[in-house]
Amino acid sequence: MFVRKSVALVAIAAVLVAACSNNAGSSSGPGSSSGTGTANCKVGVAWATSQEERYKLRDEPAVKGAVEAGGGTYLSGGDAQNKADIQATQIATLLASNINVLVINAVDPVAVLPSMQAAIDAGIPVIAYDRELENAKALFLTHDNVLVGHMIADAVTKVQPTGNYVIIKGDKTQTNPIFLRNGMEEVLKPLTDSGAIKIVAEEFTPDWKAEAAQTEMENILTAHPDVNAVLSENDNMATGVTAALGGNADGKVKIGGQDGDTFALNRVALGTQVVSVWKNSIELGQAAGKAALELCKNPDITKVTGAKASKTAGGLDSYSLLLNPVPITKDNLQVVLDANWITKDVLCKGVTAGSVAGC
Amino acid sequence: MAEATPVTEKTSAPAAGQRSVRSLLASLEIDTRLLGMIAATVVVWVVFNFASDGLFLSPRNLWNLSVQSAAVGIMTTGMVMIIVSRNIDLSIGSILAITALVMALLQTEWLPNALGLGLNSPFIWIIALVIGIALGALIGGLNGFLVAYAGIPSFVVTLGAMLIWRGASFGLVSGRTIGPLDLTFQLIGGGPKGSLGDSLSWLVAAIAIALIAYGLIASRRRRRRYGFPVRPVWADVTLGVVASLIVAGAVWVANSYPWPPGLAKEYAQAHGIPEPPGGLVIPTGIAIPVLIAIGLAVAMTFLANRRRFGRYVFAIGGNPEAAELAGINTKRTIMKTFVLMGMLAAAAAAVTSARLNAATNGLGTGIELQVIAAAVIGGTSFAGGIGTIAGGVLGAVVIQSLQSGMVLISVPTALQDIVIGIVLVAAVGFDTFVNRRKPGVR
Amino acid sequence: MTAAAVTAIQAPLVEMRNISVSFGGVRAVHDVTIDLRPGEVIGLVGGNGAGKSTLMRALSGAHKADSGEILIDGNVVTIANPRDAKALAIETIYQTLALADNLSAPDNMFLGRELVSGVGSLDDSAMESATRNVMGRLNPNFKAFTQPVRRLSGGQRQAVAIARAVHFNARIIIMDEPTAALGPAETAQVRNLIRQLKNEGIGIFLVSHDIHDVFDLSDRISVMYHGRLVDTVNKADVQPDDVLGMIILGKKPGEVTKSELDSLR
Repeated sequence: MFVRKSVALVAIAAVLVAACSNNAGSSSGPGSSSGTGTANCKVGVAWATSQEERYKLRDEPAVKGAVEAGGGTYLSGGDAQNKADIQATQIATLLASNINVLVINAVDPVAVLPSMQAAIDAGIPVIAYDRELENAKALFLTHDNVLVGHMIADAVTKVQPTGNYVIIKGDKTQTNPIFLRNGMEEVLKPLTDSGAIKIVAEEFTPDWKAEAAQTEMENILTAHPDVNAVLSENDNMATGVTAALGGNADGKVKIGGQDGDTFALNRVALGTQVVSVWKNSIELGQAAGKAALELCKNPDITKVTGAKASKTAGGLDSYSLLLNPVPITKDNLQVVLDANWITKDVLCKGVTAGSVAGC
Repeated sequence: MAEATPVTEKTSAPAAGQRSVRSLLASLEIDTRLLGMIAATVVVWVVFNFASDGLFLSPRNLWNLSVQSAAVGIMTTGMVMIIVSRNIDLSIGSILAITALVMALLQTEWLPNALGLGLNSPFIWIIALVIGIALGALIGGLNGFLVAYAGIPSFVVTLGAMLIWRGASFGLVSGRTIGPLDLTFQLIGGGPKGSLGDSLSWLVAAIAIALIAYGLIASRRRRRRYGFPVRPVWADVTLGVVASLIVAGAVWVANSYPWPPGLAKEYAQAHGIPEPPGGLVIPTGIAIPVLIAIGLAVAMTFLANRRRFGRYVFAIGGNPEAAELAGINTKRTIMKTFVLMGMLAAAAAAVTSARLNAATNGLGTGIELQVIAAAVIGGTSFAGGIGTIAGGVLGAVVIQSLQSGMVLISVPTALQDIVIGIVLVAAVGFDTFVNRRKPGVR
Repeated sequence: MTAAAVTAIQAPLVEMRNISVSFGGVRAVHDVTIDLRPGEVIGLVGGNGAGKSTLMRALSGAHKADSGEILIDGNVVTIANPRDAKALAIETIYQTLALADNLSAPDNMFLGRELVSGVGSLDDSAMESATRNVMGRLNPNFKAFTQPVRRLSGGQRQAVAIARAVHFNARIIIMDEPTAALGPAETAQVRNLIRQLKNEGIGIFLVSHDIHDVFDLSDRISVMYHGRLVDTVNKADVQPDDVLGMIILGKKPGEVTKSELDSLR
């Protein structure tokens, strides 16, 4: 009986040791990725969400394209549906898939840290893609969300320096709405202090939903019929705001958004929306793909082409490849056309020819 | 064969001379649960009106409220039947999204390009609408088939459907927002142009009042013919008058909400109407989505109470075995409830996307919870066999009143969810408490 | 008199020949043959699991027999579902009553057979009126025609179930434990009703645990034991003890030894 038991235990132990050493001996061990080369470079990407136009149409194809063009393999972790716990599971799965580089599009900058640490511990270099996370060891490839908020407010206050403002914010369970709001505050504070601008209402919107923003805006208008400008933290909600304003065809209310959503860009061309702060996610995705391939050859993030010393939002010294968001107004529509972000017939649908540069 | 004299059934009615509220209600023969719902709505409205310095009961806000409740109200009429027959449908939000997207794509891309009709051609809106509702019926039918004939629990089937159709929605448009929509289709969403205006609204009110009067008279006449006890004349008259006043009042409120001045000015100039000082006042009237919602609610109530299908749904909910033994085709009945639900979700999709003038793939996320909550607040029981359409629609109005009211008075975001949760439990708890104390036979 | 007419007079109302029913691999009813004549009450008795309810379910359409024949008035019929049975004027009063608690008495009476008006809408008034008529004969004190049936007493609910069978002019009624949940006064009412129905020429299968009821009301008694028919006897020819012996031991009266009989006491 005793003999049988101990034989079983030894057998189980042997299997476990073999399994563990298999993992350790693979390319995810410390220093093992040096000299792997771009061939066999496996890049795992943990996306925060697929539910927005840009991720499926632009970011993902750009990253995938750049990685594969360089001979590497692209692996997606799936759609974390903007939930931190789902993302943690997805990153764990990616790490178990023997990736060489991890790209994280973080749902939550703090909740993602343990997952990130697990990658660093396993010797896998990490790229933080487009969203903040508070760890100096990652290479930051972002657009600055605080800057985006700043740009939205800047573009709108330039055309509407006084009056009643409404701020439509994103989902209250996420952190991006706060960063965006902080950016807006940089521009708004002097104006609210001087009394030129009054913020009559600001609301969070469940799931950043367009129809929820519409209902909110209608109710805000009932309480405050005279609204001069609306800062919306993204274009999806701006669609709802525009509908609540009856289409805002005369452009009387100045609306700002972000994302470069095709419907919103059309509104900018038509004059019903003032600005859509655009991040060229094609460019961003390509840069991420290239940086990932470089990290496969050499995991030192300071050596990546174009990486510069910078500070994280929390003040840590780190390195980043910063790309600047571009506020798209009716004056520079050509930018999105040139970047093949949107086709002319979609951009200029319903626009009188020649009324804006680009149409 | 008529009985000699109409015997009064009100065995709990006290001896003559002792009027209690209960006997009053018994004479009127109104469902006390429904009365409780109406009372709850009134309480919420009065409280919010007070907190918002009279803003809540303004024509503008009430008109907005009616439109904002329309989509959830439409879907609640179907959900009541599903829950009554001891099932659940968690996929309605995803059905809403996919049908909205298909209707939007039909209007903006497929029909204009494929049939060479061009944008905004006259028949696009109706073709898109019919296809959308047919798609809703198909998806609902698939759900219904799996539940009724394959015997898979509805929770599981519709949970799966919720994920499948949400994924399909995303796949269909890769996250794009589809818009703007066909000009005629947009009218389904309401707005100044998507409303009836004052003359038509009064006409609708007149028709409604005529129907109420006809209903009361016909019911009285029918009961007399069989020799059943009838309500006292004063009760019938009171009911008729009160109902008519409510209808007239609602239409009056809708007509008191004027078009935005800019739009009115445009209209005046376009039609060569001289503008009086202060601008032309154009009454908005009943919004089309509200008319659709009310129409569907009336139709569903008729289906539930006056048709065999409705009777069978309630029988299955009360005792599925008894229904089988009575020879009812329970499988076919259950399948029909899901087909109906799919069609109603598509109707709600039309209203929501028309209102937004766009369709996004995130449309309707989480709406199933609101619809189920509305049905439950309105008196529908998960045990099956109990529920009313009117109660469900009122439940939808109460929930929307809470949500809108809190934005109106700028309640902090954290508090908003807490308040809604407390009111939900309180409303159903109160209803349970009252009904537990009900007397036995009336 | 023609041969057909002679056959018609002599044929029993119901004949169930060699009926077998199984479910889940268990033979609930094995090769049972019984018959019922007009104006007769057959007491169908047996212990728990004897198969009496299952046998009746084959007749009521609730569960189709696997093999055997059913004849009504000498003609072979197929009873595949409750509708078939009702079409043959067979009505059943189930032990659980099969009433939908949330619906009223008229709703339940007409469940599955609703009266409709010209456009196909439910004619609730006609159904209520018909229900009042029937209930007036059975239970004149019954007044709760608009209440959901869950609010009624056990006896009133029983009355609704019986009224349902009576109203549709059943010629064959199956009653499964009709007095099990009733008090003495209501039991007496049901007994009177059964006698009344007998007089009208209706044939009744009375499934019951109560030996007194069976001896009081039946003309013949069929005893089942573990799915088989032990025997069908005329009430006049047996004593309650004999029947008990058949129920508990599964043996015909002549086969039971004295010691076995003593062990029953």
